[in-house]
Amino acid sequence: MGESAEVSAVAVPAMPEAVERHDLLSWLTTTDHKRIGILYLLTSLAYFGVSGILSLMIRTQLARPNNTFVDAHQYAQLFTLHGTAMIFLFVAPFAFGLGNFLIPLQIGAADMAFPRLNATSYWLFLFGGLVVFLGAATNEGAAASGWTAYPPLSEIRVSTGLGQDLWIVGVFLVSVATIVTSINFVTTVFIFRAPGMTMWRIPIFTWEMIATSLLVFMAFPSLAATLLLLFVDRHMGGHAFDPAYGGSPVLWDHLFWFFGHPEVYVMILPYFGVISEIVPVFSRKPIFGYTGLVLAAFAIAGLSMGVWAHHMFTTGVVNNPFFAFVSFLIAVPTGVKFFNWIATMWRGSISFETPMLFAIGFLLNFLIGGITGVMLASPPIDYQAHDSYFVVAHFHYVLGGGSLFAIFAALFFWWPKMFGIKLDETLGRWCFGLLFVGFNVTFLPMHFMGVMGMPRRVFTYDAGGPLPILNLIATCGSYIMFAGVSLFVVNAIVSARARIPVGNDPWNANSLEWWTTSPPPEHNFESLPPIRSERPVYDARVARS
Amino acid sequence: MTVGLRLFLSSAGFGIAIALAYWFTSREIVGTFMLGVMAFGLSFVAGYMIVAEREADLIGDEKNATMQSGAGELVGTYTVTSPLPLGSAVAVTCIGLGIVVSPAIAVLGILAVLAFGALFVIQSR
Amino acid sequence: MASNWLIFLAVGACVGVIVLGLILFPLVRWRRRPGDAEPPQFANNYPLEITWTVVPLLMVGGLFVATYRAEARIDAVAVHPAAIVAVDAYRWGWTFGYRGGPTVGGASSGPASLGVIQKMPELVLPLGETTRIELSATDVDHGFWIPDFLFKRDAIPGQTTVFDLSPTKLGTFEGRCSAFCGLQHESMLFRVRVVSPSAFVAWEKAQR
Repeated sequence: MGESAEVSAVAVPAMPEAVERHDLLSWLTTTDHKRIGILYLLTSLAYFGVSGILSLMIRTQLARPNNTFVDAHQYAQLFTLHGTAMIFLFVAPFAFGLGNFLIPLQIGAADMAFPRLNATSYWLFLFGGLVVFLGAATNEGAAASGWTAYPPLSEIRVSTGLGQDLWIVGVFLVSVATIVTSINFVTTVFIFRAPGMTMWRIPIFTWEMIATSLLVFMAFPSLAATLLLLFVDRHMGGHAFDPAYGGSPVLWDHLFWFFGHPEVYVMILPYFGVISEIVPVFSRKPIFGYTGLVLAAFAIAGLSMGVWAHHMFTTGVVNNPFFAFVSFLIAVPTGVKFFNWIATMWRGSISFETPMLFAIGFLLNFLIGGITGVMLASPPIDYQAHDSYFVVAHFHYVLGGGSLFAIFAALFFWWPKMFGIKLDETLGRWCFGLLFVGFNVTFLPMHFMGVMGMPRRVFTYDAGGPLPILNLIATCGSYIMFAGVSLFVVNAIVSARARIPVGNDPWNANSLEWWTTSPPPEHNFESLPPIRSERPVYDARVARS
Repeated sequence: MTVGLRLFLSSAGFGIAIALAYWFTSREIVGTFMLGVMAFGLSFVAGYMIVAEREADLIGDEKNATMQSGAGELVGTYTVTSPLPLGSAVAVTCIGLGIVVSPAIAVLGILAVLAFGALFVIQSR
Repeated sequence: MASNWLIFLAVGACVGVIVLGLILFPLVRWRRRPGDAEPPQFANNYPLEITWTVVPLLMVGGLFVATYRAEARIDAVAVHPAAIVAVDAYRWGWTFGYRGGPTVGGASSGPASLGVIQKMPELVLPLGETTRIELSATDVDHGFWIPDFLFKRDAIPGQTTVFDLSPTKLGTFEGRCSAFCGLQHESMLFRVRVVSPSAFVAWEKAQR
């Protein structure tokens, strides 16, 4: 059964008898945060691969008008599964995987506060995703009402198949997993910091994960309850969203977006943290404005709880000015972060290894996504842009151009620490180039497509006018992105064969994970340096020279 | 006052403020209720932390502590491997699937969750 | 409303160009050259940090004022409109019920490009006058969107959403459903025809 080991948080003499097992059973029963983190990363990347194929199918269908690559019902399942998988099964879980691997290392702890719950979260995430996709194997197919599942469309009268129910169950499982993980993160950081690692010395990435966890506590219970309400409506005679019995579809909108908007900040704050770790290393300067970055993270988290109805501006029944005002306000702390990153690079000494290339790509893409976000915060603009390809462009710029680029930056930066081998730098630069070009070719035209009147979630469009050529360009861009992603897979395989080993600190970095070996031993640290700032490894390097 | 407590106190304060601001500008019950529940939850955590902190004394909060000053302290025990996580997750998934597909699977899931839950608690002793 | 778009595009473009420059400049000016010493390790500048918090705050304050004014104009509903039309969205078509007049509309038969003779529901509006729309849906959420008017509203079952349309140009404009409503969502098109007030009266009479 489970073995247990009593461990003190600091210097641990090497235990010669403890040999780390690598067989399948040890992975299935692991409670080691590093292994769980790697499982999260690999699983979420696998869901990304599947969802990416779905998006290629979407773009192939939209390459020309009146295409017959898929029919309307298949198309509806495609965009539902694509959105659900990218949001619930890739971008957010990848961040939690990264947090799982890094947080104990960054604060000098031996593991998470609740290792078995940690592992349980991972398996719930894996199974939740499988349950969602299981819908595709049923008679009537997978859920097909969008990742937002608005009733009455998602009610039993219209969405009659099992797919919608499996979607509800799968997303519910993932919600539970997310809440449990966040509890683990906050408890671990509050309690298990190494001597001298005060809260104001923890890395920015760890701070962002705390802010993210706070958002999860506030938002995900709403999602779980709302999913239950939909299930009760569908199968137990409920009428929460049914106007014939005094319910309202707008109730779903409020409850879902009360979760849904914080969710998008769950999907970006960890990646702000990733950028905050990478830019200082490759600029050879400390992160500028540490306190400002921390305060901005919590300002964003708090404000994001008050903007949900900017997704409902066109319903006519919410206080548009209130939500417009708070949505505009969120731009301010986000801008503060941008200026902090720029100031970190200012008068630095900047090198362009692959992690830094992706970080720069993040800054450029997220700039565009952020500006269109401020535009969408204006109800008069939203009256045109809502439910159009302009919104699709906006959220892909922040999630694809932003989070996805930070994901690749994180992969290239921490891969050596996780696996003890370096990814190939040349292949990495080609990967970046293809992704940056492909991404912008895909999504820049969508701004114009939206303003010209192309709605979202359509499987065809007018043959007249500029829509066909714009859609064709976007489809070509998506194939270029596919090439970029494939190159990453090639890189992983090639590097695994080449097995070029790395030392503890291949990047001359700052935070505690770079003190220990690559990969770290099971208990993380054989020793710890003195911790007197947010850059203990840098300080130790300076002290040595 | 630890940083963590300050975080939850200010979050609770913000929650109360925005719930009130929303109610008085919008008079909309659903949003106010959600913000109110959020404010209540944050206040609850803050209150709990105030009580809990009276006993807490974290080595991590000491600015000039060294490895040596923290050495030998028993921080906690943790399991190295355990089949309970995978088992519990399978059981919970069975409950979910069972509710949708077949009540028999759901019942099996509930029994398994109870069994695994008991094992979790027993192993924590 | 177009003016709101232009304000935001102008501000967005300015901010974008400036921040883009601020990002690219260090990459060029301070890229690492072999033998470079360690750069100055500064990490704070409180006056600068306060400035770059306060200035954006003032800017979004200004944007909010402009937005509030534009929205107040767009959302305003006249007390005595020239015409009132009850618009009902359903899977998959539109009915337009003119108060004191005809009820027209119906299903649309596929995207305009199919070459099939378009039987599209048509909303006729008088030029330069205010028409009140009372929008609802019978089955699921739909979206009443006229891209050329830069305007949409959601049609939600169980509620009637009221807004004014005051067209300023003659012509025929496309309308479509913007909220995903099922398998024929993309063919739920309608046509908006703006005619002179006298032609409007004549059209209403001719429908009887």
